[in-house]
Amino acid sequence: MFGNTQLIVAIAIFTLTYVIIVSEKVNRTAIAIFGAVLMLIFNIEMQEEAIMHVDFNTIGLLVGMMIIVNILKRTGIFEYVAIKAAKAAKGDPWKIVLIFSILTGVSSAFLDNVTTILLVVPVTIVIANALKLNPIPFLVPEVLIANIGGTATLIGDPPNIMIGSATGLGFNDFIVNLGPVVIVITGITMVILKMVYGKTLVADELNKRQILSMNEQLAIKDKTLLIKSLIVLGITIIGFMSHQSLGYESATIALFGAGLLLLLSKLDPEDILMEIEWPTIFFFMALFILVGALEDVGVIHFLAEKMLDLTHGDLFFTAMLILWVSAIASAFLDNIPFVATMIPLITSIGDLSSISITPLWWALALGACLGGNGTLVGASANVIVSGMLEKQGYKLSFVEYMKIGFPIMLVSVAVSTVYLWVRYL
Amino acid sequence: MSRLLDAELTIQTMKLRQMGAKIKTINSKMCYVKFDISGFEVSYVYNINKNGNYFLERIKPYPLAIKEFYDEEQVIEIIKVDLEQFKNAIKSHNIQSFIDINRRLHQSIQKFEDLFLYYNVPLEECDKIISLLDALDQELKDTKNSSNRIYTKKEPDNL
Repeated sequence: MFGNTQLIVAIAIFTLTYVIIVSEKVNRTAIAIFGAVLMLIFNIEMQEEAIMHVDFNTIGLLVGMMIIVNILKRTGIFEYVAIKAAKAAKGDPWKIVLIFSILTGVSSAFLDNVTTILLVVPVTIVIANALKLNPIPFLVPEVLIANIGGTATLIGDPPNIMIGSATGLGFNDFIVNLGPVVIVITGITMVILKMVYGKTLVADELNKRQILSMNEQLAIKDKTLLIKSLIVLGITIIGFMSHQSLGYESATIALFGAGLLLLLSKLDPEDILMEIEWPTIFFFMALFILVGALEDVGVIHFLAEKMLDLTHGDLFFTAMLILWVSAIASAFLDNIPFVATMIPLITSIGDLSSISITPLWWALALGACLGGNGTLVGASANVIVSGMLEKQGYKLSFVEYMKIGFPIMLVSVAVSTVYLWVRYL
Repeated sequence: MSRLLDAELTIQTMKLRQMGAKIKTINSKMCYVKFDISGFEVSYVYNINKNGNYFLERIKPYPLAIKEFYDEEQVIEIIKVDLEQFKNAIKSHNIQSFIDINRRLHQSIQKFEDLFLYYNVPLEECDKIISLLDALDQELKDTKNSSNRIYTKKEPDNL
């Protein structure tokens, strides 16, 4: 059992770390590692226990997918698809926005949102430049749809990876339970975006012809690597779809794909591994230790009891509370630490009550992922788009983004409310 | 940061590929090297990649064209000799004139490039420029013959 001092110290370390992460004054990985190590220094938990808290399924899945994407992006496939799509749209800006957004949504369901945005946004900027149009009306829809599309699958967004790993819910569970609502939300969002941006997206014929003169074949950098990468990506996606029936963890599938592609590509693994987002990986590991320590001293159990007191164990009320609190919190805060804290909390609710907690996982996934659309700081993908626009000489202000993002977030969460209510509650 | 850099690179390489370029991107490290010789700055930039290729360029007091080397000793040796020569040169009361002349020569090259790229220069004008360059070349040789040599560890590369 833990003494009061340890309890207070653990809460203090966690709260301070959380506040500093949220303030964004210090690098989030640096402060998370420091906070996690303080838990060891103050004997809140032993080193072996801390390591046990790290969810290596989440880590393995993230690393595996990062390796696959790092190899895939070297082929030029994203540039190829973008040029092909822009030509299919005959240079019509709104059609380009529509096609690119759908492509982004689909990619984001199978790749991490941030990765998708980093692959799609540069090519979109090139297309917008060719059309001599402001790239903001192209990029805002893409980032909104990336965050929405990522909600649909186990591997689409880090919160889902964490939820899947902690609960055993598989790739197909996510698609079956979140896919339908994500399709509806995507459709509604595109209608809203058409109303907002439709009239501003006008290009003259000369610039449209410039799009048609682009050669997609020039974008392919390595055809052999492209074929190998697409085959391995296909195998990996099939693997995700059948990982539960095969009895493998999702990380095993991702790492199998990564290992196979590293082997087949004959690229220097050093070059590929150098591009893994190690700060993100270490941030996750440190967070698992921080939340694990909080769990060990009984704080999470205590919070779960308080939440049950508040909701009187009512599934509908609990799900709505999780959905809306997650969405609003994720609109302003990093959703990864939030979800890392919520996972043991929901597990404790399940242990303490008789309610079926599966709908609560969907509420958490929908709230945490869709909430990121609310503000410019709500999701890493939004921050990256804003940074890239700034580099191109365009300013997407917090307020300008929020005028579009926040209402769309509210509509998305409202649709999710109805969906959860009708389907599960 | 590196992710944004990657994205920025994608924008540039996509545009260049559409212009017909073949592009090879190599991970490398870039070093800025700065020496202060009694308030006189001599600086270099060099790039190392894992294939062992070094690209060295002097940036101050005036730029010297980039050169490729295959051995770190070569890079260090080039900088060492260059530095020794500058240490000698700054003792001369002509150092400022030397730098000014160099800067003006560099500006003349840039002006000539504009002339060539923006105008259809008549042949007789080209001949005039060539004869001026011949005269300058001769002047450099004459000056060399009438001057005392101050650095003897290595033979001049171009004169």
